[in-house]
Amino acid sequence: MTAQTWAAVAVFAVTYLLIATERVHRVMAALGGAAAMVLIGATDGESAFFSEAEGIDWNVIFLLLGMMIIVGVLQQTGIFEFLAVWAAKRARGRPFRVMVLLVLITAMASALLDNVTTVLLIAPVTLLVCERLGTPPVPFLVAEALASNIGGTATLVGDPPNIIIASRAGLSFNDFLVHLAPIVVLLMVVFIGLCRVLFRSAFRYDPQRVTRVMALEEREAITDPRLLWRALAVLAMVLVAFVLHPVTHIEPAVVALLGAGLAVLVSGLPSRDYLADVEWETLVFFMGLFVMVGSLVRLGVIEDLGTAAAEALDGRYLLASTGLLFGSAVLSAVVDNIPYVATVSPLVGDLVGSGPAGPQASSLWWALALGADLGGNATAVGASANVVVVGIAARNGHPISFWQFTRYGLVVAAITVTLCWPYLWLRYFVFGG
Amino acid sequence: MRAADLAEDLPLVTRDTDAVSAVRAFTRNDLTGVVVADADGVPEMVLTGTQLLRLAVPGYVMTDPRLAHVYDEAGAAELVEQLRDHTVGDLLDDTEVTPRPVPCVLPEDTVIELAALMCAERTPAVLVRDRDGTPHGVVTLPRLMSAILGIADAGDGRS
Repeated sequence: MTAQTWAAVAVFAVTYLLIATERVHRVMAALGGAAAMVLIGATDGESAFFSEAEGIDWNVIFLLLGMMIIVGVLQQTGIFEFLAVWAAKRARGRPFRVMVLLVLITAMASALLDNVTTVLLIAPVTLLVCERLGTPPVPFLVAEALASNIGGTATLVGDPPNIIIASRAGLSFNDFLVHLAPIVVLLMVVFIGLCRVLFRSAFRYDPQRVTRVMALEEREAITDPRLLWRALAVLAMVLVAFVLHPVTHIEPAVVALLGAGLAVLVSGLPSRDYLADVEWETLVFFMGLFVMVGSLVRLGVIEDLGTAAAEALDGRYLLASTGLLFGSAVLSAVVDNIPYVATVSPLVGDLVGSGPAGPQASSLWWALALGADLGGNATAVGASANVVVVGIAARNGHPISFWQFTRYGLVVAAITVTLCWPYLWLRYFVFGG
Repeated sequence: MRAADLAEDLPLVTRDTDAVSAVRAFTRNDLTGVVVADADGVPEMVLTGTQLLRLAVPGYVMTDPRLAHVYDEAGAAELVEQLRDHTVGDLLDDTEVTPRPVPCVLPEDTVIELAALMCAERTPAVLVRDRDGTPHGVVTLPRLMSAILGIADAGDGRS
């Protein structure tokens, strides 16, 4: 390796360490790392801005931006508040039934929308329902954070790592639905069973309290029904366009941007309303990250690593899948899964491309997605949704300690990730070959 | 008219004052805020009326104001009754609330100095204190407005 390559690896390692340890703000670290890559000549403007593989992957950035704007419009409708109160009343105030319905709503919403937005919308109404029921809200909030990470695994747009994987691997919305949604449905069934056991002390039922829940007026949450129907129609059109990609060949990022434009147009909302939910920090973080990882791709570091890994594995895809699934889960439990997947996906791309194409090779992508998405459940800092829920709970007088969250999260992550292994093995190695 | 002419003694609240008493002090004196004193009884912070109002609204409704719509009248009354469970300290500790320090003026400062300071600091009360630090009461926004109105009316009469 040349001195420049070593310097690039050093820049990457230091930046990654800074992001993982949160010694400096992650945006500052990623932009600083990207700038250092430019200064040492590891990349240039041409690669950084115009090369999908060696620079900023604009498909990912614009897909995220488009979905954030659509969510910004959707959350003005009050649909989440309506659904959560409706669910609590439908469950007749029985705490376990309320939890089941809330985690199902959270998981399904997370499959279509960003996990953080989903928990931001569902957590306040959960606090309201729990206050009415007189039950401790912490188990409900923790369960929702865990459900959002599981549900988000099911689709291309459900979790940012999936968006990165889809773009790097050339996978479509339907690929994710076909390969990940079935196992996610199974995991949700198991997760609901786990909720019954893990949070059993929270299910105190007080019939007198139920009248307080039944008195809630969920329809009042929807202040503008026309806006609701229009926003839902746009979301439905976007989802249909994702599914019809094999026919239309319109990229998901373009679909999301068109959907965002349409949502803005039909909603008539002022720009501050729908732009308030755009996480500019996250988008800039992605850009810095892509420039850093792209620099390593440009210098051939990722290719060398991929070749070495391919030689070591020698076509043993089951071993590689197993390693990726559990390794990704462990790493995602302690560090942000976005930089992890951004770094590892070019490497996985090389590994997949090093052998004959087929279900066994493609299983590596699914192992990476499942490990990275579900591993985030293990600790309070493993996923952004967990951090957000802990913050909301603390602000409302219900602090959740790191270990309190981790006690539940670790069990759920261990069981769900472990269940993915037989799924991968059976689907891609026993019946797929 | 000078700051000393407008200053009045107001009931101060402290960190330990319960929310009901704080609201009572607010309403009884027709104020736009309450002045919070430190442990030594020295005015320290101003909480505006809308900040005080947060004591009656659960945090999750502040986070998602649409939730306010789902309560019926009885439910809303139940929430407001929880006011008695809170103290002024809860507001001071709330990261979403930024109580402003009470700005100080000299007894000889004019109404325009008071008005400029209140606008700049966005506070409904200022403490009148002489150069050696002796407090002479508080000038409130309603009191200042009345003084300004009086001066304006007097000006109309002359012209």
